[in-house]
Amino acid sequence: MLKYVGKRLLAALVTLFIILTTVFVLMRQMPIEGYFDNIDKADQGVIDAKLHQLGLKDPMHIQLLNFYKNILKGDLGVSNRYRTGAPIIDIIAGKAPISIQMGLISMALSLLLGIPLGAKMARSKYKFWDKIGTGFIVFINAVPAAVYYIYIQSYGSSMLKISMLFDPSKFLNWVLPVFSMSLGSIAYYAMWLRRYMVDELNKDYVQLAKAKGVTSQDITMAHVFRNAFVPMIQYIPSSLLFTISGSIYVESLYSIPGMGGLLVDVITRQDNTMVQALVMIYASIGIIGMLLGDLLMALIDPRISFAKKEGVR
Amino acid sequence: MAENKMEKQLYESLNQSQQSLDDFAFAPYSEKEAERTGFSYYSYWGSTIRVFLKNRLATGLLILLVLLVLFTIIQPHLPNQFRATEVINHPITGLQMYNIGPSFSNVMYTVPENTQLVVTPYENDTWAAVSNILTSLKARTTFTIIEYEKNWVKVELDDGQHGYVLNNFTTKLRLPEDPNQVPYESRSNFPVKMYTFPEDYTNQGTELFVLKDQLNITPDGLSATTKTEAKLRLLPGDAPFLFGTNNAGQDMWSMVWSGTRTSLYIGFMVAMLEAIIGIFIGVLWGYVRRLDRLLTEIYNVINNIPTTIVLIMFTYIMRPGIQTLIFSMTITGWVSMARFVRNQIVIIRDRDYNLASRCLGSSTFRIITRNLLPYLVSVIMLRMALAIPGAIGSEVFITYIGLGLPVSIPSLGNLINVGRKLVTTSYAYQLIFPTIILSIVTISFYIIGNAFADAADPRNHV
Repeated sequence: MLKYVGKRLLAALVTLFIILTTVFVLMRQMPIEGYFDNIDKADQGVIDAKLHQLGLKDPMHIQLLNFYKNILKGDLGVSNRYRTGAPIIDIIAGKAPISIQMGLISMALSLLLGIPLGAKMARSKYKFWDKIGTGFIVFINAVPAAVYYIYIQSYGSSMLKISMLFDPSKFLNWVLPVFSMSLGSIAYYAMWLRRYMVDELNKDYVQLAKAKGVTSQDITMAHVFRNAFVPMIQYIPSSLLFTISGSIYVESLYSIPGMGGLLVDVITRQDNTMVQALVMIYASIGIIGMLLGDLLMALIDPRISFAKKEGVR
Repeated sequence: MAENKMEKQLYESLNQSQQSLDDFAFAPYSEKEAERTGFSYYSYWGSTIRVFLKNRLATGLLILLVLLVLFTIIQPHLPNQFRATEVINHPITGLQMYNIGPSFSNVMYTVPENTQLVVTPYENDTWAAVSNILTSLKARTTFTIIEYEKNWVKVELDDGQHGYVLNNFTTKLRLPEDPNQVPYESRSNFPVKMYTFPEDYTNQGTELFVLKDQLNITPDGLSATTKTEAKLRLLPGDAPFLFGTNNAGQDMWSMVWSGTRTSLYIGFMVAMLEAIIGIFIGVLWGYVRRLDRLLTEIYNVINNIPTTIVLIMFTYIMRPGIQTLIFSMTITGWVSMARFVRNQIVIIRDRDYNLASRCLGSSTFRIITRNLLPYLVSVIMLRMALAIPGAIGSEVFITYIGLGLPVSIPSLGNLINVGRKLVTTSYAYQLIFPTIILSIVTISFYIIGNAFADAADPRNHV
């Protein structure tokens, strides 16, 4: 197990290196106009000085070397354009907590609602609850989130008699954003749990258990649900970790000062250092999340083992 | 006695059968006849289609979707259509026909016979521009109110002209303390319009159009009465704004269909490219053992990059346009397709029939195209059916963050993006129509895809 984790972490470092280098090189291909608010008015000397200060005048491999040196020192650098001169760590530390809080609450909510819904749907296949749930899932998948979020915001805030903008000190103001964020994942959890449970219910061991006289309640809870949940548990750590990235839609609608639109913002403003830092954070989260997911799956399902080499059949 | 009779019958029948046995002859060996055993009328695709058609909802949606796709193609060639991005101006004033609500015809008012109308000179053989505005009064012109009528007042000008002026918050007339005092000298702080009768037969102050045949125009060409009941229209011609117009004066009906065309095109292209690249690499990955290790490592790298980052990066670096969107979505989408195909290939690669085929000397190419891929057609088609709404959804997302298509190329994404700012206003129809079309397309693809996957599963064939 430890050996497996070690190997995976080593591979993760290589992956991270490739991703960061690619993004680094891509960002250096951007036109230099992007680094200035008003390039027409600046004279050549000023432009050169700024580019020199940003370190863009050096050859690419030197820039790359400096970048990795700084990372190894644990220094993410300062923001160039987004909030000029502010340490990136501070910017992220100011924005991440609210996104994480909101993400965790909405994730808890969607697990609490989505999983019972999915289980209920699987147990009453093609009956009332299944139809209601399917309708909900189809609706959420069909209507773009951008559209129903706006309706939730405009009607919800007039119903609850609160302002449309977010104020973290008031409890009621948390309701709508959290609810909007959970809707999609409720549908997601319900849909997949239903599918996996229906698959399990068709298997022979369920027939056997029924023949032995086990109650359908026990079959569902002790056998079917546990087996059906295994493929879903793999994505839970990733989702947990990715709450840090926030939701672009919800945060821009309610003016929540979170991480939601940050990446898009810094990419369009060509804040290279910020882009690199964020990509590094998100990519590492992705890799770690996947590793944790695999480990969690092995922990829950004894049939999955990493000690045995997954060879070619 | 009875027994005897039975015996007799028995003997008779035995004799008969003896006789009929003699009639038989041994059949000669026929290879063709021998092969006939084991023949079945089962055909995979026939059964798939039959099972699919049993699902009424999916069949209905399939028909709807086909009609919708056909309609997006023929819509520009239908009569009475505006061009998608054409800004529609009023022929006389040149103002944009903006924010006109959706309706089935462009008739604003139907007026009875003998209605007095004011004609504005307009060079056209069949259409006349009319209104019932007598004159426009400048701000702070004084006039005398001689009668009150609901939210209209009858007024007399200094030169003796009579007419009606609207009396509400838009005109803000100066009114007496006693609400019925006449005559009363009044004025407005705004420019107001004086109408021939207390009814507004204009489109927010601009002229409407009516067929010349329906009018008796006076010789000076400045006023007219209607011969018969007449329809006053927004524009000369009878093309309606079925979905209204947007705030730039563009026809939403043609915008929505043009947008649907763009979005479906993006969806189809992305699904096709994903399938082509995904199948090609997936087959290599699954079938060629030596490549497995390498491709798995590459997959791990690519799969660890969050898709949003790649999507944003590519759409930002490249010039905004349809090609950019297709490219960046394909770049992020082919990986999962390849992985999927690889897994399927690994599962069926070493089945006995492939082993046998290989022993009999089939080439790799033949095994892949004849033995493996036909097995995967149904699952691949399901993936493609689900990739189309996925691509359309991504397009909406990219447009939302401001990196999508320019407004000059209508797509469902940027129509929704423009419309969502109007959600609380009375112009919400500009959001609702594209959303409805988008939802129909998405739901159809999801349900058809799933019904097809069920139908393609041989376990569901009877």
